[in-house]
Amino acid sequence: MKNRKLSIRMMFYILSLLIVIVWLIPFFITTFTSLKSMDEIMASTSWWKPPQQLVWENFANSWEQGNMKTYFRNTFIITVPSVIGTLFVSSLGAFSLSFYKFKMSKIVLIIFVAGMLIPFQMLLIPVYKFSQQTGLYDTFQGVILFHVAFQLGFCTFFLRNFMIGIPKSIFESAKMDGANDFTLYRKIALPLSLPAMAALGILEFTWIWNDYLWALILLQSDSLKPVTLGLVNLQGQWVTSWNIISAASLIAAIVPLVVFLLFQRYFIDGLTVGAVKG
Amino acid sequence: MLTKKRWWVPWAFLALPLIMYIIWVLVPIGRTFIYSFSSWDGLSKNIDFIGLDNFRMLFGDRIFITALMNNIKWFILFIIIPVPVGLGFAMLLDMKLPGSKLFKTLVYLPMTLSFVVIGTMWSWIYEPQYGALNSFLDAIGLDFLITPWLSDPQVVTFSLIFAAIWRQIPYVMVLFLAGLKNVSKDQVEAAYVDGANAWQRFWNIILPALRPSMIVAVTVSIIDSLRAFDIVFVMTKGGPFHSSTVLANFMYIEAFNNYRMGYGSAIAVIQFAITFGFIILYLLNVMKNEE
Amino acid sequence: MKKLTLTLTILTLVLFVFSARTLVINSYMSDPAPKEVFSKLVADFEEMYPEIDVTVNTFAHEDFKTLLRTWLGSNNAPDVVTWFAGERMRYFAEKGFLEPLDDIFPNGFEEEFPEAFRTASAYQDNIYFIPQSWYWWGVYYNKAVFKDLGLEIPKTWNEFMAVNETLKENGKIPMAIGTKFLWTAGGWFDYLNMRINGIEFHTEFTAGKVPFTDPRVKKVFEYWKEMVDKGYFINNHSAYSWQEAANRLFTGEAGMYLMGQFIKDVAPENVKDDIDFFRFPIIDSNVGVYEDTPIDGFMVPKNAKNIEDAKLFMKYIAGKESQQYFADELGRLAANKKVTPPDAHAQAGMDMILESDGVMQFFDRDMDPEMANNAMNGFVEFMMFPNRIDAILENLENIRQRIYN
Repeated sequence: MKNRKLSIRMMFYILSLLIVIVWLIPFFITTFTSLKSMDEIMASTSWWKPPQQLVWENFANSWEQGNMKTYFRNTFIITVPSVIGTLFVSSLGAFSLSFYKFKMSKIVLIIFVAGMLIPFQMLLIPVYKFSQQTGLYDTFQGVILFHVAFQLGFCTFFLRNFMIGIPKSIFESAKMDGANDFTLYRKIALPLSLPAMAALGILEFTWIWNDYLWALILLQSDSLKPVTLGLVNLQGQWVTSWNIISAASLIAAIVPLVVFLLFQRYFIDGLTVGAVKG
Repeated sequence: MLTKKRWWVPWAFLALPLIMYIIWVLVPIGRTFIYSFSSWDGLSKNIDFIGLDNFRMLFGDRIFITALMNNIKWFILFIIIPVPVGLGFAMLLDMKLPGSKLFKTLVYLPMTLSFVVIGTMWSWIYEPQYGALNSFLDAIGLDFLITPWLSDPQVVTFSLIFAAIWRQIPYVMVLFLAGLKNVSKDQVEAAYVDGANAWQRFWNIILPALRPSMIVAVTVSIIDSLRAFDIVFVMTKGGPFHSSTVLANFMYIEAFNNYRMGYGSAIAVIQFAITFGFIILYLLNVMKNEE
Repeated sequence: MKKLTLTLTILTLVLFVFSARTLVINSYMSDPAPKEVFSKLVADFEEMYPEIDVTVNTFAHEDFKTLLRTWLGSNNAPDVVTWFAGERMRYFAEKGFLEPLDDIFPNGFEEEFPEAFRTASAYQDNIYFIPQSWYWWGVYYNKAVFKDLGLEIPKTWNEFMAVNETLKENGKIPMAIGTKFLWTAGGWFDYLNMRINGIEFHTEFTAGKVPFTDPRVKKVFEYWKEMVDKGYFINNHSAYSWQEAANRLFTGEAGMYLMGQFIKDVAPENVKDDIDFFRFPIIDSNVGVYEDTPIDGFMVPKNAKNIEDAKLFMKYIAGKESQQYFADELGRLAANKKVTPPDAHAQAGMDMILESDGVMQFFDRDMDPEMANNAMNGFVEFMMFPNRIDAILENLENIRQRIYN
């Protein structure tokens, strides 16, 4: 009996291992490419094979040539306030829609949800024009405000679903102690929503970190660009330095990965609760 | 809880989010609707309104039809594959085997890479003569399956969908990993003791408990399939000659490369209408559970 | 109140004194080498005019094309932008988005630039475009492969066909091409059309004045079909970007590649000297010899904030010194006619062009963008399914009617 259990475990273990290895093939190819010289790439026929010579300089080069330091800094400047902003603003809306019963609440909820599913390319030109007219074009604030607003749909919906699950009794006893509405929001709803906020925080961080289109439309100056744009700038007019781009994008992938690792626990727990209420 | 005097309280909380949302999302959507009735090129100062002409043209445009057909393929495959596979991965990796945390992280990796890189690497896998896929098929003797994955119009959309699914599965897997935390271990144990086999345990206990996650996973997959853009744009730009184009790609090229902003907006409106149809379905489902 | 006014006045004066004149340049030169060379040129300009503060914003090529139209239409346009000569520039000039630059040349455009470049840089009677560099197209070939098979450079179409056949018989890919992003097919159309029908016809065609169903257009596809039917093009070319297909030329698996001079930029060191070019073969000796010479340069948006300084910059960039530097560093050909070609390869290209009867910009730079896109899609479809040519041409004709109605 024990042997059978052991061999089943071994089987699953090997199976998982195999799946993951096959799964990661494109990732391996990216890594191989990042370690090759352009000459090797252009002279060989199989672009996916491991490098013959390891060119570690590609990583340093991508940092320099790709101006990565500035772009990384910019991406943080854009992403962190956007995530905090959208979490905060959506929590206000979520509290309103979950705690209070009023006639329009279902409609307002639908409005937020509908926005969640818009094909965003549709908004490119109107948002561009708007940011031009308001002087928000080519500024960090312009991009941040946009991200905060645009993510409100998903975040409000998600948080609202979570907050519905908070037992009314907790609120009741706080009210009896004399708490006003804002205190209820600040001292009860917010703290109890922390797992969901952490989960949302990770998702939002990854999405905004990897955003390409909006930075492209709303920013012009090189000095303000995030990493995603910096990566594409490594594509020349005719010639693409695949090795540098691969190296740079591996570097860029580290941050969302680290965020994932750090908040993994909350992430998984948080998503559960939102999903159950859905 | 709400007295007549205090009807304004929820609106006070909603003020900031709603205002931001209206300004940055709803008004632009409205503008796009307006553009869809025009022949604007996105550049000139004046805008000519042409009524429903764009929509009439669209339904006679064979590229539009191709895009629509392709989105349907994306839609079907995005539901059939990522959801069960993501679930399978989640269950496999949820077993408390040593290193499962490492595995989860590794499977999540595709989500951290930029689309430009994903597109290029998959192009190399699909490369007809020396690419990884065809070389592999040749090596194991399945050479009759060798196809030009990205240049055969019949096959190209499926090649793109597969690359996109590769990236979609980790997302769905995470959703299910979360859901599995909710499955009552006691119930499963009890069923095991009662003599239920693995399949019965799965079907009768685990799957129902996963229902919320399932709803989210399916919805997200629907939306992403109808919104598909990046993979298509990076890998083929809709080619060869439009055979792999999807609505979002078609819209972008018409609006921004062909200077037909009005026409592109019309495409966006239709894409929105289709997605919105599914929103309604989803909402009905969700609202029902809440009452 | 008095104090407030005083403070405000002082502040305004201070700001006025310390505000430098700023010049914003948006460029698509994202390749590392041109980018660096250009930033040196900008630094030199700043030395000449210390009161001007220049910012260069670089964009990926595809993105630049998308964004340019949004910039031009806004009130906040950059002061100088890189762009292409020809129809691509005229499209904007016609809509009034560009600033005329004739006053930069006290003695006229032709003082600095060849007369042949005027049409490409002007719209109606005004100059809107300052050319900086240009390159030529030719049939690039692998010298080692040719030597091995004892092949001579073909001058006529028949000789060319024979070369293709020999290559094929010996297991080589006669003609490499990567059509994933379409424009390489446009190059083929250009050359066949110019060789068969001449430059006046080609100009009319790219201006949208010739129906796609015209028999002269069909003739182009007859010659093209010969190459497709005999299998001279690489298989599955629509799966390759131009750069990926070039790899075959470098490894020696392919013999030839109709391509622009920038193919050398990507050739690996050990192969660079093996890659050379020859003029696209003559089909009809009664027709003049014409080539594609895409020209890159700069324009000034009408809505730019600092038009005065933009013109100063344009004057600088049009001059011999800056153009010589750019050409030398990058092995390109400068548009300024006083500049000498930087190396033997460039000289050979220059000679070929000087011996030609006329030049065009390139298919997707000579033709309306939307029409060009559709046409190139049609070309690729033709190359994969040559028997569909009639349906393809009819479809393109319908589109042409709609666009040029």
